[in-house]
Amino acid sequence: MRVGFFSLTVLVVAAVTLIIVVRPASPFLPEATGTGSNTFVADAWPSSAQPIHWVINPTRSAKIVGATSVTQVMQDSFASWTSAPNTLLSVITTPGTSSITNANQVPSGTNLICFICTGVNFSSADGTLALTSTFSQGSVITQADIYFNPNPSGVCFVTDAQTAKCPTLTDSPQDLQTVATHEMGHFFGLDHSGIVRAIMFPFAPNVLTTLSYDDVAGISSSYPNSIQVVPVGNISGTVSMANTGSPVFGAHVFANSTTSNNPFSAFPSIRKTPIGTLTVPNGSYTIKGVPPDSYVVIAEPLDQPVTSSSVDWGQPANPPTFNQPIQTNFTTRWH
Amino acid sequence: MRVSTPRKILFALLLPAAITALATTVLPMSIESLTGASSHVVEGVSMQTWSQWNPQHTMILTYTKFQVQRTLKGQAPPMLIVKQLGGRVGAVIQKVAGVRHLQPGEQAVLFLRPSDENDGTLVITGLMQGNFSVSIAQNGTLMVSNGMPDVSAYSISTGQITSYQGNRLRLSDLETRVQKAAQQ
Repeated sequence: MRVGFFSLTVLVVAAVTLIIVVRPASPFLPEATGTGSNTFVADAWPSSAQPIHWVINPTRSAKIVGATSVTQVMQDSFASWTSAPNTLLSVITTPGTSSITNANQVPSGTNLICFICTGVNFSSADGTLALTSTFSQGSVITQADIYFNPNPSGVCFVTDAQTAKCPTLTDSPQDLQTVATHEMGHFFGLDHSGIVRAIMFPFAPNVLTTLSYDDVAGISSSYPNSIQVVPVGNISGTVSMANTGSPVFGAHVFANSTTSNNPFSAFPSIRKTPIGTLTVPNGSYTIKGVPPDSYVVIAEPLDQPVTSSSVDWGQPANPPTFNQPIQTNFTTRWH
Repeated sequence: MRVSTPRKILFALLLPAAITALATTVLPMSIESLTGASSHVVEGVSMQTWSQWNPQHTMILTYTKFQVQRTLKGQAPPMLIVKQLGGRVGAVIQKVAGVRHLQPGEQAVLFLRPSDENDGTLVITGLMQGNFSVSIAQNGTLMVSNGMPDVSAYSISTGQITSYQGNRLRLSDLETRVQKAAQQ
């Protein structure tokens, strides 16, 4: 069934004016703990846990090539997030050893990154390159570990994206930093984004290591710095079906700049993209972290290429974020 | 499949030639590849689920009793135990991005292989990729989806995608492809 919809209220962000709107939705998509029928709290590390300690077993599997150390790649990947504008987030490296093969072997309060660890059931043939496991109590993240497949099928990890080649001709090179940067978004509590060029978009090219506007909006909302180097505001509204007035849950709403302005020009590595979010069950949304500019706001069903299967909001997890299926029975509209 | 024009344009313009699914990070697998990497491919319904720590107390694992209604590959008993990463034990929640836990009553086609622990359980091939939930289309056709785009035309050697068709297909088509791949 395709039906038109909706009433959309847009608060356009004015330059330097911070519009504070208390709405349940968040920019980007955080992993989240539902706190009511239309509210949630984004999963995040508490400020008391910062700097967040991490340790790496530096042992390379045979499928990692390149002159740059894996520790350096991880540090560079973390730096993409911790240096994001308007973000207060810090990590610290604890020296690791090759004897660490599971999370029990690291000190309490330290998080593991590993290429040869046990217990994850990686298979050389199942296409899985890496995964991030986060532990939380309520919405408070207490531990996060990143595991790389020691023997991925058909690919090798390269630590120097421009120069390294796979030792096996049938393998294709996959930039390690690209994978690590995405996984670290999960490490910090972010879910997938529907924005195509975002680091947290669930499908990525071989090399993509710099954050997008959408990623910055997500990380700076979860870990806000009281001093904003670039002032940002919110865009909020409601998505509902035109014929019935019923709210739409899970509509992918994103703000797309209509200009060539670059409000984050002081951060040349930040890529300009739309900034998006999903509506909560009552149809409301707030796109946070929007820099001054002129925008068109688009609402579309989350039906391809990102689907409800790619975001935890649409999952009947334990506990569920909202415990209802995401709606996709409408057509795209923009204002 | 409904793909909006703006998004189709964005996707066509901006998705480079190679694709990696960063769910967790996986390389998209074709149904034929999933079949080859699996010891069992079964249709059925999820029954009871429960979560518990692994013996090392490093991971929470969610177990599901899966009632087999049809076997497409391998020889499966009437009831399987499927093990997935993540879950909730008491107040502690472990999330693994992209892992969709089976829910009681859910119809699914599962691509499975034995757990590394040799504990009699099976794990889903490719984490989420081998988990196709079954739904009924408006015309009554049984459809399946694993939430991944169908990039079966992806060439791992060249990194080229020549076809992107969305992730839903008819259950009957999935069955045919699995059975054909299993015979090879």
